[in-house]
Amino acid sequence: MRYLKYIIIIFFINGCSSDSSDENAIVSTDDTPATVTNALLDFSVPTNFPDATYSIAQNPPTERGFELGKKLFYDGQLASDGVVSCGFCHIQSFAFTHHTHITSHGVDGRIGTRNAQPLHNLAFMNEFTWDGAAAFLDTQPIIPLTAEVEMNETISNVISKLEADDTYPTMFYDAFGSEGVTAERMFKALSQFMVMMVSANSKFDKWERGEAVTFTAQEEAGRIVFDTKCASCHAGTLQTDQSYRNNGLAMVDPFNDIGRERVTGLPQDHLKFKVPSLRNIEITFPYMHDGRIATLEDVLDFYTDGMVDSETLDEQFRRDDGTLGLDITPEEKVQLVAFLKTLTDNDFLEDRRFAEF
Amino acid sequence: MKKLIVLCLLVSLAIACNNDESTNTPTPGSLNLVFQNTIDASPLVMNDLVYTNTSNENYGINELKYIISNITLIRLDDTEYIYPVEDSYFLIDEEGNKTASLVNIPADTYKAIKFGFGVDPTKYPIESGTLNFVPLAEEADMLWSWSAGYKFIKFEGNYSVNSGSEIPFLYHVGSHGATLDNYKEIIIPVSNMVIQSNGENDNITERNIQFDIAKIFDSIHTLSLEAKNEIMVDPENAPKIAENISTAFSISE
Ligand code: HEC
Ligand code: HEC
Repeated sequence: MRYLKYIIIIFFINGCSSDSSDENAIVSTDDTPATVTNALLDFSVPTNFPDATYSIAQNPPTERGFELGKKLFYDGQLASDGVVSCGFCHIQSFAFTHHTHITSHGVDGRIGTRNAQPLHNLAFMNEFTWDGAAAFLDTQPIIPLTAEVEMNETISNVISKLEADDTYPTMFYDAFGSEGVTAERMFKALSQFMVMMVSANSKFDKWERGEAVTFTAQEEAGRIVFDTKCASCHAGTLQTDQSYRNNGLAMVDPFNDIGRERVTGLPQDHLKFKVPSLRNIEITFPYMHDGRIATLEDVLDFYTDGMVDSETLDEQFRRDDGTLGLDITPEEKVQLVAFLKTLTDNDFLEDRRFAEF
Repeated sequence: MKKLIVLCLLVSLAIACNNDESTNTPTPGSLNLVFQNTIDASPLVMNDLVYTNTSNENYGINELKYIISNITLIRLDDTEYIYPVEDSYFLIDEEGNKTASLVNIPADTYKAIKFGFGVDPTKYPIESGTLNFVPLAEEADMLWSWSAGYKFIKFEGNYSVNSGSEIPFLYHVGSHGATLDNYKEIIIPVSNMVIQSNGENDNITERNIQFDIAKIFDSIHTLSLEAKNEIMVDPENAPKIAENISTAFSISE
């Protein structure tokens, strides 16, 4: 079985090399360390999950590809100041958010306009960022790498730095089986690392899979409230229907963030943001696209009493009497918070594979 | 185990390079597509406000860049030679490179050239091989800064109405996430274009493709600069520009 994995890898690497003279290499694998040592990683879809949206077949995570992706993810060299790595804003113990900051801080302490999103279950998402500005995981890193308020670099310059580095050229060789530090390989390696970040071991997951866990009375009550009042948007196993909606947050200075409209130019997308997954929500505070709400209790108070009207506000938040918000009793709020905490996946937060050190 | 290796070997040989027909053809040739940006069939004069659109606005052009992709040649029998897609992205810059140099093309006679204007947003980036085009596109400022998408065309200059003062204009048309597809496929017939094998003497076939810039403003749709001088992520006007552009290419033989 182990061999089979190697052969598949070799198959991928040789799949379309333009000089087809290396047919022999396919057979005599054992003396080509780059391929033999590079086993496929096991990316398997948890039984309670939907199918992956990421095309694993086109970029199957391998041991060395993942290792390269991880090094890139934690390497400040990718930023203009040599300090701000992806991992600087995406910290594992907070489900890869930057929780000490409301909005993100990039090179030279420059402040971004949005709250760093958690990174988990990215292989199952259709689009990326709060407004869907990236249609593919493989191209998403272009945004932080080049944004002035984030890593402030150019892709060509990043590639030059990696080429000049002592270790990267070898790591690229090992990961992809031939010479070459290219943009495509860098994006593929980052994706391999991020695709493996599957968070599927919370109490909620175990409950969904029928494993031996029981919700407390409060968690169970919270689950039922959640199903009736929240799950129309924070839907299903992934805790999001992946749509863009306006949940009644006021547009505020200084960011004046118009949301999804920036991507589509459509007035009906004004102030809409992607419905976030609520997985690991206990530890990804502060909340909302600009981190304006500090605690889960405050989020629920916002849902009952804090909404601001605008044309694109989701209809679900309009009450019959013309006021805005959801009806949630104080007792239900306590139950909801208890349920939301069952979405915390400590195995994921402590998974050594993703750890910087 | 042996059987398995043999099986895998066969499968991989069968699948290997099926999109790269050139490796099977012993003597391939070359083709240069030279993009000529024209107005009234003459090469562009940059900067000065020497042109007039049908809305009676005088305009001059400071910058013109666009992306050509997915080049396919159609044989006399309607079969297609698809140029390796990862090598088929070209940045055409009025003030820089204007040639798409294609190599290793099967020697044959072709009756049409098909290409994409922009980058096909529906294709997965690994599949369409665009990831290695990112650095070049970025250097040319053909990526939106806030999104991970391409500007298909960057067209900027100045205009004036009724000999008034000069006002800058800017058209950047590209993909809007996955919601709007401004990518256009363009087919231009050519009369019996022969690609000869390179052999000893470097036989490069060359064709000039004209891009009639005036059609950006006036073709299927008419766009007035006074009505709107900055078009970027504009779901109403950007598709009009893209449709106009899809009518603007022709070949002179
Ligand atoms: C300066 C802080 C910062 C840095 C550095 C940073 N990010 Fe982010 N990341 C963010 C913010 C903020 C968002 C939300 C962006 C938005 O909505 O516009 C985000 C969003 C994302 C997303 C989208 C998640 C989703 O669910 O849609 C991914 C993937 C991601 N970042 C990966 C990376 C990678 C890879 C790097 C390194 C190349 C990186 N980030 C560097 C702050 C940062
Ligand atoms: C109509 C759709 C909709 C409904 C119903 C809804 N939400 Fe949300 N929720 C959203 C959207 C959209 C956002 C992101 C808003 C933003 O940041 O601009 C969000 C954000 C959140 C956040 C912050 C997440 C983060 O990562 O910062 C929490 C927590 C949350 N919702 C909990 C709930 C709970 C609990 C309920 C039920 C009581 C609920 N939501 C009902 C659409 C909805």
